[in-house]
Amino acid sequence: MNWGVFRLLYVHEMKLLARARRTIVLSVLLPALIMPIMLLASKYSNDQRRQTLADTNYKFTITGPLAERIRNLIEKARTLDSKAAQRFKFTEVPTDDPAKALEANEIQFYIRTLTGAEADALSDSPKARLKGVPMVTVVFRGNQDVSNNGQGRIVELLERARRADSELSLAQHGFTGDPRQLFAIDTANLATGDQVTGLTVGRFITAILVMLMLTGGSVAALDIIAGEKERGTLETLLTTAAGRTEIVMAKQFAISSVALAVTLIQALNFFVYIKLKVIALPPGFNLGLSSGMALTLLMLFVPLALTLGSILLMLSAYAKSYKEANLYFFPVYLLGLLMSLASLLPGVPLRSAIVIVPIANVSVAAREILVGRPDFPMIILTFGIMLCAAAWLLRSAARMLSREDIVLPAHAEPAEFIGGKALFGKRVLRWFALMWAIEFAAAANVPQLATLRRQIVFNEIVLMLGASMLMIRLYKLNLRDTLSLRSVKPVVWLAILCAIPTANSAAVAVFRLANIFIPVSEELMRSASEGLIPAGMPQWQLFIFVAVLPAVCEEITFRGILLSGLRRRFHSVTLVIAVGLIFGMFHMTLFRIAPTAVLGMVLTGIALMTGSIFPGMLLHMGNNAWGVWTEQHGFDLGALGPWQSAALLAIFALSMWIIFRNRVRPGRIHTRS
Amino acid sequence: MPAPISVREISKSFFDEGRGEIHAVNAVSFECREGEVFGLLGANGAGKTTTLRMLSTIIAPSSGSASILGHDVVTDAENVRKNLGFYSASTALYPRLTARETIKFFAQINQYPPGRVTERVNYLIERFGITKYADSRVDRLSSGMKQKVSIARTVAHDPRIVIFDEPTVGLDVLNALEVQDSIRQLRSEGKTIIFSTHIMSEAEKLCDRIAIIHGGRILACDTLANLRDSSGQHYLEDIFIHHVRDRA
Repeated sequence: MNWGVFRLLYVHEMKLLARARRTIVLSVLLPALIMPIMLLASKYSNDQRRQTLADTNYKFTITGPLAERIRNLIEKARTLDSKAAQRFKFTEVPTDDPAKALEANEIQFYIRTLTGAEADALSDSPKARLKGVPMVTVVFRGNQDVSNNGQGRIVELLERARRADSELSLAQHGFTGDPRQLFAIDTANLATGDQVTGLTVGRFITAILVMLMLTGGSVAALDIIAGEKERGTLETLLTTAAGRTEIVMAKQFAISSVALAVTLIQALNFFVYIKLKVIALPPGFNLGLSSGMALTLLMLFVPLALTLGSILLMLSAYAKSYKEANLYFFPVYLLGLLMSLASLLPGVPLRSAIVIVPIANVSVAAREILVGRPDFPMIILTFGIMLCAAAWLLRSAARMLSREDIVLPAHAEPAEFIGGKALFGKRVLRWFALMWAIEFAAAANVPQLATLRRQIVFNEIVLMLGASMLMIRLYKLNLRDTLSLRSVKPVVWLAILCAIPTANSAAVAVFRLANIFIPVSEELMRSASEGLIPAGMPQWQLFIFVAVLPAVCEEITFRGILLSGLRRRFHSVTLVIAVGLIFGMFHMTLFRIAPTAVLGMVLTGIALMTGSIFPGMLLHMGNNAWGVWTEQHGFDLGALGPWQSAALLAIFALSMWIIFRNRVRPGRIHTRS
Repeated sequence: MPAPISVREISKSFFDEGRGEIHAVNAVSFECREGEVFGLLGANGAGKTTTLRMLSTIIAPSSGSASILGHDVVTDAENVRKNLGFYSASTALYPRLTARETIKFFAQINQYPPGRVTERVNYLIERFGITKYADSRVDRLSSGMKQKVSIARTVAHDPRIVIFDEPTVGLDVLNALEVQDSIRQLRSEGKTIIFSTHIMSEAEKLCDRIAIIHGGRILACDTLANLRDSSGQHYLEDIFIHHVRDRA
């Protein structure tokens, strides 16, 4: 890395950005003005609302046989609450056709009264009404603010009137006690006003920042690479003595600087408008954030800016033109925004699996800081994870700038032309995304698939096996090589047999260990060992539907097709994680995703080590069958003690070690392609 | 003395959905001598731009090797680019920089000695006659002016080797003549120049030696006089057709 060249390029990029009007408007002016505009708008809206309520004289009418009685009750209720009477002015307007008058906006609502007999005769009489009880209906127009407000006020008044009337009636019948003397109801909120405001701000602060960072950063990012490609200046830059690393780093830092500027502008806005209260804040809105906490929050947003900068840079590097980059931007924007709303998830603390999800972790951490409950070890972990994500994305962007087909649009993608295996590798993830979408849509919308048998037949045979066979045919793949249909040494089979009773327990044990560092919910822990076994199903059918079919179909699909398609693109470790995670994602129930992903990683590792899907198939089948057996015999794996868990883990580790020792080196696998 | 530019059996293949596998450049070899203008003459799609992009390290060769002043284009790309000025019809200028800023930026980024950058920028501004609009933004300049700024930025770091890839494409006659004059001036300063074109008259006027490239292969490479002798044709256009027809 040549720091002199990096500095020069960075200054150059910033100079270009500063001279672009769009960048200034979207990255500086918009973030600077959005908070005062929102506060002023909120203040204006509140003032207007108060004024409107104070000034409005609601016009209404009362119809029906009980009109006089209701009129008197309302009048009496108004005299009981003089404050409400002052706030709520209304005038009764006599009218022949109240519905027409309401439609013509001559009145804001009308009260329709019915005797008990009339109400009984109604077809749409409310169910809660007792037979013979008279009915009072407030008719209004919900699409008009004044009518809506008036309705709320009159209902409140009518309820008060009814209460007063019922108390009077009880007294007239000899019940002189006052129901209000039974007990008083009150609430005591232990949270300070600062904490309550912190919760409100904390839920949305990351989302707002992400929105502004992406908006401002995208203008810079799209111009910085995609725009340069389109103008031809990227080719000019690539012929200079600057290395691609320096070019990418400088561009990334320029985009991140814009995102950071957005953050700092918001921090300044918070200080000016929330702390110094330059504009009057809504009643009860008081954010008392200490300097230390504010700094922690700011520090957390730095890697967020870097990560978003890297994402935008990658997007811009991948697009061949400004227009194409714009097309990619919208889904990225939506996804970013969605993840930043993780703070809205109820009961999800930072000390959970969310800490490993970039952007979502910052969102939850920001909420915890703002409500005054920061979890510093987890905040540090969040900081590290965000930095790693930013670095990985940055590296990917640099690699993209080394790809000729991306830098020079004239060069077509070779795979598109060659077809076959090369194109299969490029398209395999799209196939799996489509399969997942179909599985999800079917699970959500086809109730007929709710039974185990139908679910297995549709998901495993029709969808997975069907799609796998279609891919083999479409891309003219060699069946044996693609599905890794190879024999393995006898000792591997022995190791697999040892691993069968321990794999399930090992997965539970891994979760128990992980739980020490990142607590997992009880529900997740339970689901790791629970199955989905329907009652009354014959044993042989259970074996076929729960053990054999999933093992055969899923191993062909995931460790055969998917692994083969991704093999050339990723390193072994990445392959294990990616295939495992995708495998987990296909097990739709939220709390089953993690344990099945772990099992998927183990099975992928075995397929890579043995060069065959058969050992994994046996382990998968044995594991599922073992799961059925333990559930039927009430054997709770989650209830095992630490030593028993450790022993099972040791047996499992030994089995894996045997497989590792007998692994097949990639060069020794005979392939025909 | 070793040749400043040496190209040995260099090839580049890529794929096109419509045309299939394309050998854009196929085992091309040539050498350029110090201080000469070496012409790559070929029709559109002959492989000129791909060859020059490989020499300027924008793309990597599929096979073969090439070196610029002894630096390999694959393994020592940064040093290659430091000693190289690359100009092509597809390379553009930053619209939001002024002419002066543009020249200064390219001198600095190509690691011209920092203490002499201002002096070099002023010299180039005067030399290319862009004093009047040196402080105007590039997007406000006429295409002729942009052309001059573009050549000035190509040689901003005073490289020993300059590559011109079809520099007169899309230019009017007067601007094309100015570019030709600039190339002559650079030769008189001792620069080694590779110049690609499909315009015969340009090659005839400017090049000391000419390589005729067609279908990714070099069909002939010599001085104009020798090409005339070997082909028995006088005009370069006829010489070109003679070689291309022979190959067909």
